[in-house]
Amino acid sequence: MQNLIRFLLRYWLFIFFLLIESFCFYLIYSNSRFHEAILFNKANKVTGDFNAAYTSTTEYLSLGKANDSLARENAVLRARGIDAMAFIENQKRTAEDTLAKVVQTYSYFSAKVIKNSINQASNFIYLNKGSASGITTQMGVICEKGIVGQVVKVTENYSAVMSVLNKNFRVSAKMKNSDYFGQLFWTGSSIDQVKLEEIPKHVLVQIGDTVVTSGYSILFPENIMIGRVTKVHAQPEKNFLEIDVKLSAPMANLNYVYVIDHLYKNEIMELDSLTSKTVK
Amino acid sequence: MTSLIPINLLRLVVLIFSQALFFSNIHIHPMIDIYIYPVFILLLPFQVPRWVLMILGFAIGISIDMLLGTLGMHAAVSVLLAYIRPMLINVITPKGTEFELSPNIYIQGSGWFLIYFLLAYTISLGAYFMIEAGTFYNLFWLLIKIITSVSFSVISSLIFIYLFTADKRRRHAGR
Repeated sequence: MQNLIRFLLRYWLFIFFLLIESFCFYLIYSNSRFHEAILFNKANKVTGDFNAAYTSTTEYLSLGKANDSLARENAVLRARGIDAMAFIENQKRTAEDTLAKVVQTYSYFSAKVIKNSINQASNFIYLNKGSASGITTQMGVICEKGIVGQVVKVTENYSAVMSVLNKNFRVSAKMKNSDYFGQLFWTGSSIDQVKLEEIPKHVLVQIGDTVVTSGYSILFPENIMIGRVTKVHAQPEKNFLEIDVKLSAPMANLNYVYVIDHLYKNEIMELDSLTSKTVK
Repeated sequence: MTSLIPINLLRLVVLIFSQALFFSNIHIHPMIDIYIYPVFILLLPFQVPRWVLMILGFAIGISIDMLLGTLGMHAAVSVLLAYIRPMLINVITPKGTEFELSPNIYIQGSGWFLIYFLLAYTISLGAYFMIEAGTFYNLFWLLIKIITSVSFSVISSLIFIYLFTADKRRRHAGR
């Protein structure tokens, strides 16, 4: 007992140090278990307001650019005609076309980026809309040039988006010209390079080919732009190609984004759980 | 001695906000991160006991974490830095030298400060990037990121210190 007390007295500083450090690591790892998003910070009121205030001061610097991109997008929407109805916010509608009956499967919310990080291993984007505006987890996020990420955490007025530039982000993508699909993920080497894998070797892929979303997940509709092929690696020992893709979305200066809600996602998820039960 | 507390408090606030609002928002290149908040721990008075150092380190680390959304990482790193600070000072200071109060770039000299900051930043940012990366980056990119970020952070920190330290010797000599 005396020895124990002597030991504690002698090394109490080191023990104190270990205690604080283990608390820190507990914070780090309990955090990453929940998609590395937020536990008690960030999307909560205080820091959310802090970031909103920061953005409202700095956004004037990029107003011109934001206007340009919004105007360009308006033009695209006008040209689209019947597809454009999908962009009417948060309304379910059916449109009668002369050729086919179109049922809306996706609805779109517009939201503003209030914080964006690009230089970490797990990057997150914070948006100024949350559950009060109808945003839930499992929604895809795009900007007018391409995909941006996936909503992982929602509070009342803010939401956190796992960016494409996150080591945990995976999306199913396909080559636009051949329809072969594979997994797309970020390698961390550069802020506009991602990697597409699982495309079979016999597929002819050329530099400059377009890569789009496959529509095989509830996150993104089909044919949303992701980027263009910059390099194709074909290794003799593998059956699949490794393709470098340059992202088309400007991840470093995002202003306004669209959050995509799949209107029947609960149904699909239910079906998913039913099939997995049946298989077991 | 009493004026040390308000000075350090002011430095704490200025560093937290300049880190969260400015230095973490200038994206020069994804391989360059600039962190200047460790300046607070490194400039605390020499007499501060080690356990107080660690608590203060945890305080600034967790504040930075909340503002940057990296819960726990900066706290872990700055507690580590606070723990090794006395050893660091012992290693780089010649035997028998006695220092008064806080580290001051005009008293210890810029050479001592450069070595002090280089060592401290290499250890703390190295630890930070390793915690952040897990097994993600390969070793080569990790090393590149540590080298570039440490050099940019040290330069920014020394500029910060030169801007906000009065040269007491020169002022006295002038009178």
